[in-house]
Amino acid sequence: MRGDGIGVNKVVVSKTSLLTRLSRKKKVNSYENNLAGYVFISPWLIGFLLLTVWPVTQSFYLSFTDYPLLADPVWVGVENYTKIFTKDPLFGKSLAVTFSFVLLSVPLKLFFSLMVAMLLNKSLKGMSLYRTAIYFPSLIGGSIAVSVLWRNMFDLNGYINQVLAWFGIQGVGWITNPSTALGTLVLLNAWQFGSTMVIFLAGLKQIPQELYESASVDGAGKFRKFLNITLPMLSPVVFFNLVLGVIGSFQTFTSAFIITKGGPIHSTYMYALFLYEKAFKHYQMGYASALAWILLAIVASLTAINFLVSRYWVFYETDGGKK
Amino acid sequence: MTKRQWLAKGLTLLMVAVLLLVTACSGGNQEAGTKAEGQNGEAGEKSGDSGSKAVKLSIMWWGPDARHEATMKVLDMYSKQHPGVTFTPEYLAWDGYWSKLPTLAASKSITDVLQMDAAYIKEYVGNGTLEDLSDIDLSGIVDPNVIENLKIDGKLYGIPLSQNAGGIAYNKEELEKHGIPLPHQNWTWDEYFDWAREARKKLPEGKYPIGDVTTWDGYQYYQAAYGKGDIMADGGKTFSLDKELFLKFFNTYAEFRKEKIVPPAEQAAAFQENDPQADPMASGVLMTTGKTTGSVSVMETLMPGKVDVVNSPTGPDGGGWAQSTIFLSVSSNSKHKQEAKDFVRWFITDKEAGQVLRLTRGIPINPDIYAELEASLEPKDKLGKKLYDVSVEKALPFFSSAAGYTEWVDAFEAEMENVVYGKQSVEQAYEKINQLGQDLAAKAASK
Amino acid sequence: MNTLHRGYSKVTNHLFLTCFSLLMLYPVIWWVGASLKKTEEMRLPTIWPEVAMWSNYSKGWNFSAEFSFGHFFANTLMMEFWNVLGGVLTSAIVAYGFARLHFKLRGFWFSILLLTMMLPGQVTIVPQYILYNNLGLVDSYIPLILPHFFGGGAFFVFLLVQFIRGIPRDLDEAAKIDGASVYGIFLRIIFPLIKPALVTVAIFTFIWSWDDFFGQVLYLSSVEKFTVGLALRMFIDQFEIQWGQLLAMSLLSITPSVIVFFLAQKHFVEGISTTGLKG
Repeated sequence: MRGDGIGVNKVVVSKTSLLTRLSRKKKVNSYENNLAGYVFISPWLIGFLLLTVWPVTQSFYLSFTDYPLLADPVWVGVENYTKIFTKDPLFGKSLAVTFSFVLLSVPLKLFFSLMVAMLLNKSLKGMSLYRTAIYFPSLIGGSIAVSVLWRNMFDLNGYINQVLAWFGIQGVGWITNPSTALGTLVLLNAWQFGSTMVIFLAGLKQIPQELYESASVDGAGKFRKFLNITLPMLSPVVFFNLVLGVIGSFQTFTSAFIITKGGPIHSTYMYALFLYEKAFKHYQMGYASALAWILLAIVASLTAINFLVSRYWVFYETDGGKK
Repeated sequence: MTKRQWLAKGLTLLMVAVLLLVTACSGGNQEAGTKAEGQNGEAGEKSGDSGSKAVKLSIMWWGPDARHEATMKVLDMYSKQHPGVTFTPEYLAWDGYWSKLPTLAASKSITDVLQMDAAYIKEYVGNGTLEDLSDIDLSGIVDPNVIENLKIDGKLYGIPLSQNAGGIAYNKEELEKHGIPLPHQNWTWDEYFDWAREARKKLPEGKYPIGDVTTWDGYQYYQAAYGKGDIMADGGKTFSLDKELFLKFFNTYAEFRKEKIVPPAEQAAAFQENDPQADPMASGVLMTTGKTTGSVSVMETLMPGKVDVVNSPTGPDGGGWAQSTIFLSVSSNSKHKQEAKDFVRWFITDKEAGQVLRLTRGIPINPDIYAELEASLEPKDKLGKKLYDVSVEKALPFFSSAAGYTEWVDAFEAEMENVVYGKQSVEQAYEKINQLGQDLAAKAASK
Repeated sequence: MNTLHRGYSKVTNHLFLTCFSLLMLYPVIWWVGASLKKTEEMRLPTIWPEVAMWSNYSKGWNFSAEFSFGHFFANTLMMEFWNVLGGVLTSAIVAYGFARLHFKLRGFWFSILLLTMMLPGQVTIVPQYILYNNLGLVDSYIPLILPHFFGGGAFFVFLLVQFIRGIPRDLDEAAKIDGASVYGIFLRIIFPLIKPALVTVAIFTFIWSWDDFFGQVLYLSSVEKFTVGLALRMFIDQFEIQWGQLLAMSLLSITPSVIVFFLAQKHFVEGISTTGLKG
């Protein structure tokens, strides 16, 4: 077989989403098909059954207990849940903080990393060095050096304010001001765009060059190529980064933990930090487990919506051959 | 190839993966296995010599590297003196220690012997994690009054290791430069506040005489100095936050915020204690700051020769604290309780061990051991010792939060932060803090 | 397009990329400077120290009397080897199953896979620790390595599923006509084609397990088994932090990740366009 037919002429195609495709009954589920499927997913399935099921069910059970961690859990029914929804102002507060964080940082990071990935996808001399340099901030992750660095940048006497002073602007203590602290964390999150960017880069590399070549023959400009080829071909990867970005941002912990500790006055009190403090600082593991399952419900609903909406904009080459 | 052949090939691939996994695991196992065997063998030989049974004590502590090395040497020393007893040591830095310990407690696998801190001990005792050590004979080693002070519900759960105290460190050099009188021994809270007001007049902009207070223990010593005692008494069953004193104390700080006697909220929130860049005192912003024997030595490192100490402000009942805050405890799950108890007693008694351990856990609690070390103290150790000496006369008990109150501790700080940032009044904060405290006390009492 | 225009745009590209890289590299420059400072100098805003304290590196490397940092690096690299191997192998296998094969309950299992990502790990840590403790696997690398051999985590499986779904099905169909089974299609067609994505899996597995402090602190208790991440924390005590040594050693600790990234990213250059597939 020759590789000349790689869907050059049928770029985009069916608008079926993964979810609907997965739930739809396909063909006959023959014995052989089933066997092959389970053989392939067995590494995950075995691990799931051996290592994941028990801790997960355990945490669900614990969410109905009072569990001070140092002593045994005591069954309390739905008490944790009622307390979270009716009596704990920090639940609403941390949820609000987390939602604003997700809404700000996910689109920012997606846009930024896609732009950078396009830039780094060119063939230029020294591209390896550029890529490594630009990926660098993402490598230092939650290292303690980041907290020192971030403070140097955004402190009352930090570099940002020194630069602002040249223009006669009196800056604030960005990290310690309740109205700007969350912004610095969003910025930090966007600055560490490397992982998302790398996935985009890998995705861009997978787009067959022939598509662009034939589009050039048709006289398409750069922007039209981006719109008609790059975006649709990349849409499964964009979708991946979106879904994972949402899931990951809801669980953002490290930056709030090492830089702001959730402050000032809870303006960066992320849900995951709230949960962590309940579990390991206040020794209320039952309560923390309830918080975790509530978060799971929220994130799962949002992800389901993401999958439902995806059928309108994500294109899978896979279905091309079927039509 | 037929489909079946491909199937076979696929399965083989999977088998290879599993095989790799198994070898990876068993490799680790083997390593661990032979290692454990070797150690057991050693222990067995030794026990053969002495005829006593072999015991392996697990022990865990936190600290800097100097402490680890000294402790390892001392453990070897103990094994030589007591054939048959060997150790499985585990040591971590402070943060890692306290994030790991709850998980160990939850899985009932806390080490036989563990280092404890006064800030956490009540939580662990309250949940039955630690063994009662009251029957260990410490006469002639530790002052009976010290022991009495450390008892929780009449029982001793940790053998004290060192002397600690909480007082005030001040930037001597800078105060003298600006012609501000130095703080004097046994100053009262009123004198402290007046001193701050006076010092403000002489200090340049951007420098502040004292720091702000948002934490519960910052206030606790004020309440206790005026005779209103422990906020969380009876193991948390009685909660008493004195409204009058609370309002007086925090309204004074509210005034100070307006007068710029304490730094503004945005700046204060950026402080990082003991950090060379962001420490409130080392960065030259604050003239005074609360320190302990353990932490004041860092100040000496960061600003050599510039720091001096005085005791905390006092009231009619005293001020500050001076007491051991670091202990060795024994797990209530331990299978070798007697051996563990013997070891912890030896740890603070043996002179030879004392010579090796030196000041790696602070000023030794055993006066005989300290006497032998005194001649060789470094300036930073001397400063710590001085802080203890100036604090001990008027010292109040060391207050730590009762079991189940860490939530309240955080809430206190959060509510006061809201006051500092001008989001609510001191009185509103009081109501919320008091309400949560009363709720927790009711919960503790009902158990 | 004329060559002049092309040359011009090349220069602007280089100029822009250089500036951008320098901006992103600013922390490294700051970091190198700070790692050579004395503790007292740390609070000054200067980037470079007056006198470079190279001893921060030599002292930091040998901070422990028993083991040098080389030992901790060896430990971590050994663990990483298995993690990457396990992650790359099994995630590809599992992803192929989900992306291409039709079997009973596929949608159900895939939803479960995604759900496992959404439950915050903090609440499963304790039961998981109890599980490993009961199996006697605590104080070994197994709890850290094992999960990578079970699909490498939902993140990677989902990532590869998306990539495989981007590969035209014509290729499978053609191979099928040639008599290849699903296993053959996976081995000869899909596996080679998702190489850029597999490189991504390898990079991320490496970097993320390097950073996984909480898991390492729980499961490794004897110092001889410490990873670099754990050893670094030994510079941080309750009151005092050995800043110079900490920054020096943490700078060294990220070099393997930088090298791995630098070497691995070259594979992004090979796109799918050269798919001269054998029948």
